[in-house]
Amino acid sequence: MKVWKILVAVWMTIVISAGFLIQIPEIAILEQSARNLFLHVPMWFTMMIAFSMAFYFSVRYLNDEHLKWDRKAETATSVGLLFGICGLLTGSLWARFTWGTWWTFAEPRMNLAALAMLIFVAYFILRSAFNDREKSAKISAIYNIFGVTTIPFLLYIIPRQLPSLHPGAEGNPAFSEITAPELRYIFYPAVIGFIGLSFWIMNVVNRYKVLKERTTLSGS
Amino acid sequence: MKLNIQDSGNTAVDTLSSSYSGKWEGVEGIEQTSAFIQLMASNDLIFVVLGVSLIIWFVLLFYLIRVDRNVSKLEESLKEESSDET
Repeated sequence: MKVWKILVAVWMTIVISAGFLIQIPEIAILEQSARNLFLHVPMWFTMMIAFSMAFYFSVRYLNDEHLKWDRKAETATSVGLLFGICGLLTGSLWARFTWGTWWTFAEPRMNLAALAMLIFVAYFILRSAFNDREKSAKISAIYNIFGVTTIPFLLYIIPRQLPSLHPGAEGNPAFSEITAPELRYIFYPAVIGFIGLSFWIMNVVNRYKVLKERTTLSGS
Repeated sequence: MKLNIQDSGNTAVDTLSSSYSGKWEGVEGIEQTSAFIQLMASNDLIFVVLGVSLIIWFVLLFYLIRVDRNVSKLEESLKEESSDET
C-alpha cells in the first residue's frame, strides 16, 4: 500500500464526517440537503478529471500507438462513467425532494448529462465491436477524443444558455458568491478526496489489466 | 394450545393510517441509556445518517484495499514466475 492511498482513505473519512457535523446556514427548500453539495457536485468534478485524462491518453495513443495508452484511456473512461452515473443518480434523488420530481425533461442539464453518459456507454460498445486489438484501440481513441470534446458543451455551455432549475442556468455559474462560505470549507476538500479516490480505483484497474494481458499472452 | 395472533382481538386496528400507540419505543427511556446512544439520538438523528454513511464508506474502503492487496500479491508472484523462467 502506497502512502497516498492511506492519505486518501483518512482524508475521505474526515471529509464525510465533517460534512455531517458542521453547522450549515438555513437555506429555504434545500434545508439539510444542502450537504449534498459535498457529494453530488464532486462526482461531476471527478468525472471531468477522469474524462480529461482519457482525452490525454487517447491523444498519446494516436501519437505512438503504444497499447499502454489505450489501456489507461479505457480505465479513465470507465471510472469517469462510474462517477458520472453516481452524479446522475444522486442528482435525481436530490431533485425529487427539492424540485418535486425524479426526472424532468424540462431540465436541460439533467437530460444533457444523461446524454453525455450515453456517449461514453457507446464508447464501450464500440470497443467491444472489434476483435483486432489495435484496430479497436485506434478507433476508440478517435471516438473518445470526439466524445470528451462534447462534454463542456453538454454540461456547461448549453445548460447555461437555457432556463433551468439547476444552479448555473441563464448565464450564471453554478457555484458563485451566493454559496455559503461554510459549505466551501468541506466542498473543496471533498473534490480533492473524490479525485484521489478515483485515482486509486484507476490504479487498481490498470494493474489488473496489466496482469490479465500478461497471463493471457503467456497462456496462448 | 395453538395461539393465533390474527385472532387476538386487535385485528380491527387500522395500522396503516394510525400508529399502534402514541408510545414510540425508539425514544423511550433515552435518558437511562449510555452516553453513546444519547448522542446518536440527538440533533434530529443526523448522527444515525453519519453512522450509516461511514459504515458504507468503510466497507467499500475495506473492499478496495483488499483488491489492491490481491493485485499486488499477484504482481509479486508473476514477477517471481517470470524470473524463474529466464
